[in-house]
Amino acid sequence: MTTAGGVQYSKISEIKGPLVVVDGVDNAAFDELVEIETNEGERRLGKVLEVGNGKAIVQVFEGTTGLSISGTNAKFVGKVMEMPVSKEVLGRVFDGLGRPKDGLPDPIADKFIDINGEPMNPEQREYPKDFIQTGVSVIDGLITLVRGQKLPIFSGSGMSHNLLAAQIARQATVVGTNDEFAVVFAAIGVQYSEAEYFRRSLEESGALKRSVLFLNTADDPAIERIITPRVALTVAEYLAFELGMHVLVILTDMTNYAEALREISAAREEVPGRKGYPGYLYTDLSTLYERAGKLNGRNGSVTQVPILSMPSDDITHPIPDLTGYITEGQIVVGRDLFRQGVYPPINILMSLSRLMKDGIGKGSTREDHAEIANQVYDAYSRSQEVRALAGIVGKAGLTDIDLKYMDVGDVFEKEFLTQATDENRTIEETLNILWKIVSKLPKNELTKIKDKYVEQYYQGK
Amino acid sequence: MTAQGRIVWVSGPAVRADGMSDAKMYETVTVGNSKLVGEVIRLTGDVAFIQVYESTSGLKPGEPVIGTGNPLSVVLGPGIIGQLYDGIQRPLKELSKASGSFIGRGITTTPVDMIKKYHFIPTAKNGDEVLPGNVIGTVQETDLIEHSIMVPPNHPGGKISNLVSEGDYNLETELATVQKDGQNVPLKMYHKWPVRKPRPYLKRYDATVPLLTGQRVIDTFFPIAKGGTGSIPGAFGTGKTVTLHQIAKWADSQVVVYIGCGERGNEMTEVLVEFPHLKDPRSGKPLMDRTVLVANTSNMPVAAREASIYTGVTIAEYYRDMGKDVVLVADSTSRWAEALREMSGRLEEMPAEEGYPSYLASRLAEFYERAGRVRAAGSPDRDGSVTLIGAVSPSGGDFTEPVTTHTMRFIKTFWALDAKLAYSRHYPSINWMNSYSGYLGDIAKWWSENISPEWFTIRNEAYGILQREDTLKEIVKLLGPDALPDEEKLILEIARMVKIGLLQQNSFDDVDTYCSPEKQFKLLKLIVDFYKLGQQSLKEGTSLSSIRQLPVVTLLLKARMDIKDNEMPKLDKLENDMKEQFKNISGVKVTN
Amino acid sequence: MTTNLALEGTIDKILKNTENSILSSLKISLDDSKHNLDDSVTKLESEYDKIISDGKKEADKLEKQIVGGSDIEARNKQLLALEAAVNRVFTTALEQITNSARNSEYANLIKSLLEESTKILGTTQVKVFTNAKDKDVVKSSLSNFAGSELSSKTIDCIGGVKIESKDGAMKFDNTIDAKIDRLKPLIRKEIASKFGVKQ
Repeated sequence: MTTAGGVQYSKISEIKGPLVVVDGVDNAAFDELVEIETNEGERRLGKVLEVGNGKAIVQVFEGTTGLSISGTNAKFVGKVMEMPVSKEVLGRVFDGLGRPKDGLPDPIADKFIDINGEPMNPEQREYPKDFIQTGVSVIDGLITLVRGQKLPIFSGSGMSHNLLAAQIARQATVVGTNDEFAVVFAAIGVQYSEAEYFRRSLEESGALKRSVLFLNTADDPAIERIITPRVALTVAEYLAFELGMHVLVILTDMTNYAEALREISAAREEVPGRKGYPGYLYTDLSTLYERAGKLNGRNGSVTQVPILSMPSDDITHPIPDLTGYITEGQIVVGRDLFRQGVYPPINILMSLSRLMKDGIGKGSTREDHAEIANQVYDAYSRSQEVRALAGIVGKAGLTDIDLKYMDVGDVFEKEFLTQATDENRTIEETLNILWKIVSKLPKNELTKIKDKYVEQYYQGK
Repeated sequence: MTAQGRIVWVSGPAVRADGMSDAKMYETVTVGNSKLVGEVIRLTGDVAFIQVYESTSGLKPGEPVIGTGNPLSVVLGPGIIGQLYDGIQRPLKELSKASGSFIGRGITTTPVDMIKKYHFIPTAKNGDEVLPGNVIGTVQETDLIEHSIMVPPNHPGGKISNLVSEGDYNLETELATVQKDGQNVPLKMYHKWPVRKPRPYLKRYDATVPLLTGQRVIDTFFPIAKGGTGSIPGAFGTGKTVTLHQIAKWADSQVVVYIGCGERGNEMTEVLVEFPHLKDPRSGKPLMDRTVLVANTSNMPVAAREASIYTGVTIAEYYRDMGKDVVLVADSTSRWAEALREMSGRLEEMPAEEGYPSYLASRLAEFYERAGRVRAAGSPDRDGSVTLIGAVSPSGGDFTEPVTTHTMRFIKTFWALDAKLAYSRHYPSINWMNSYSGYLGDIAKWWSENISPEWFTIRNEAYGILQREDTLKEIVKLLGPDALPDEEKLILEIARMVKIGLLQQNSFDDVDTYCSPEKQFKLLKLIVDFYKLGQQSLKEGTSLSSIRQLPVVTLLLKARMDIKDNEMPKLDKLENDMKEQFKNISGVKVTN
Repeated sequence: MTTNLALEGTIDKILKNTENSILSSLKISLDDSKHNLDDSVTKLESEYDKIISDGKKEADKLEKQIVGGSDIEARNKQLLALEAAVNRVFTTALEQITNSARNSEYANLIKSLLEESTKILGTTQVKVFTNAKDKDVVKSSLSNFAGSELSSKTIDCIGGVKIESKDGAMKFDNTIDAKIDRLKPLIRKEIASKFGVKQ
């Protein structure tokens, strides 16, 4: 959208929370970008949330601290917020609104793209089915990520989700193609040290040149967080669908995003849904998550790994809950495993990759992958039951087979799950450990695997 | 006189326009310079409150709003089957021709191909008196669908003249003229019908015929009837979508309407990719030849999500009127309710629970009331049905939230999905203690007549075992399994067999994905027989462990995957083997 | 004799048994050690492979790191050089405009700037600001805009006008500076492409 814009209005009738209400406005559009300027010449950005009857309600991304009724002007720019994009954004660091933060000049734009994007036509989507190797056994083996998927990490405060995300970003590769791979990282209200860890980790692995970083840290304006994932996804879509790259987008921490949304909703005095979050939280989140995907007739893909910390580790909290309804599975970080010092502490029973079934098997990973994964899920689930039982009746009350399942649990956690942060396992290595786990069981327990695979891969007599 | 007003206010999908005193409630309007589609949902003075079905980004006060004079309607005629529509019946394929991979705005398309020719075979004659609903001829829409061309319900009827002879015609061809009171009204292959108005029928029947889905836990334990209503609530990750896809694939209906209402884009893609390759188990034809998809994914404009449910059910009623059994699956009614909530919020209505409008319950009731098995209006006699199945996505998996609780008041079958079952990879994760079916008694007759007179008894015996297990499990949790006598341990064992051998069903397994009613009954009977033989054997002093170790156990558990629908003799053999094996172990005394 | 024979036999038997058991235990331990040896060979082999592959992974990692780092450094230097060049072009262009003659062509420009801005504000009842240099040109154009007046205050800009509604509630900046500012991203792309930067 471009309309004649650029008029500055100075009649401000109200400032509340992150909102500025401008009076006497007769030429502003819904969603239009607004430049707020103080008499001292300070500039902030915002957008129109509501317009009509001579009033415009403007949401100010950098917050309203220090703005006054008399000393504030609002310039309606005549277009929605756009992100300049070009291939040169790779290797760059931007702030939460997409402005350079690395001391380098603005990118010379190939295009300016509306950061809100447009919904993909479901008819034009290509069903995701290509394996991404992350080098992390538990993901590759049991919660397989595919190109074009949105697979969030549900974690809790203080746990090692960022280590894991950084490891995925460093190691992720698409097997069997020469297409380029890129990482778009958006820090949303995370601590500076976490964002810096991420940047350094990419730099040290040499992956920075194929990455774009958007950093809104904890001390940056909260409302800016509404924009950060949007500029990041806009760049990702450009790299994927215009330049044909496979783009992995990491958004951390979506909980901070949802809180910014709640803040605006509260300032607008909207009727809240659960826990004070706006009723449209689901729809709003989907306008981010649904930007993952592949398109017919285009080379690239956008894969999303959003990270969110569940308040009080509660998976039924609206943020993980609504996220889970939109994303294609979830990787759940478990507090118990984390306490035991396991890295990565993934609770596989609560985790799921909905698109896994189409991304594995002959031609992508290995023919036995689906069945061995199923068997390990089953065996690990049994091992947990046995552990619980052992808690009641003691180890002595267990049968031989129960004890073998206990073994399965131990090997699973110690050899399969546990992995160093710089350990990059191939899919073959991962599958072989899975076989090592089930080989703790007698062959007749392997009911989910075809005999020919048991013959081929079973380790032991 | 159509309304011509100007926008005075914009906020998200909500727009207010003045100068609209000529507008009618629920009239469609075009909004703004880019001609977005909207619908009037409130009138105050000359100000109309409009919900806009497309993104309003960039819309400005002062831009025009023009009424169309018509309520939101769908086009009904051949060419609907196999389509993927958005919430207001725009074919997404046509949209992509206009705007590429992403959905643009202000695009007008026709819902069905007006130029494509269909082979019309007249069944009426010139001079016939026709009433609304009468069939005047048929066309073959797809290999699976013979499409009746009916006098529209809102047509005055009258005497037929100028009826075309058998031949190929497109949708715009005037097939006949109907004279009434000196007026000539043309009849074409299509007509329009307002989505919010249920299509009329002659009379309603009780729902007594089961809708067979090939899913054992549904058909055997919690059945739904043709023309019935069902709801499937579940937290995320409980396999709601897979279950719904299974119903859409295998239900024994002639037409399936699948509504993706505020759900994932890739799920619709999956259906689009998969259904053309899947064969209908009864006809052997591609499933797409009987399926209509309505997709308003979560990131598409929220107002169109509200409309998508009505668009879908109106299409379903249309095929019902041809005398077909139609299943409508709506995933998810919670997202529809959220759309309602969002618009209500923008209207600044007084909210009820969790911000939902107070009319949520009545809207749900109205929707589910459009289900039913009916005698269609007009001649010849046609009986058809619309079965409505709505997914519910309760926030936090909490079944006491408003959408779930209100839905439960209006549906008769309730399939409660259970996160715990899903975590332990028990699929479909339909919880057998919390689910229910109000059709059990009504459809028992069908099973008794068509499958076995024993069905009802056996089904109840099996269900009884599951109920017993539920209480026994509590004891085990407290005291350990050794606290139970063998008789009760056997119940636990049988319950395990019911769960693994019957309730669990692998939708990705070629054999297990669909199970015929005959096979369902036989599997059920085998397990119940096993229980009876086991009880007897225990009485005779056989040890529980020797019963457990009978070779037949594993075979019974794997029969759902190993034995195909057309290999019923193998199940008979299994039955004989079972009896034989029990005979062999009875008499073996417990040596302690 | 018989006793002796019997004794011998017994001793023989015992000797034989012992021998057998020693031999067999010897055989077992031999087998064992052979087995162990075999095992350790495979183990060693796999260890060896692991060392090699770990080493290779490590080397790959280092290589990626070094190559990646220097690539990006070079690219960033290039970006800075390009930006410096673009800025030089800008500065020169702006100087030229600043120093350009205020002739009739320039008067037309001012007129069109005024037309544009009053149209956007929707009124000609405006106060007009400009710099000292353009004051005369602007003043002569104002007669076409009923109700407009030139402010006595001058503003600091290269050229062009800034207008304000009489109550001061609406402003529109149509100075050449503001115009260039709005167009800058596009101009930068233009200039960059002249320097031969591929997009």
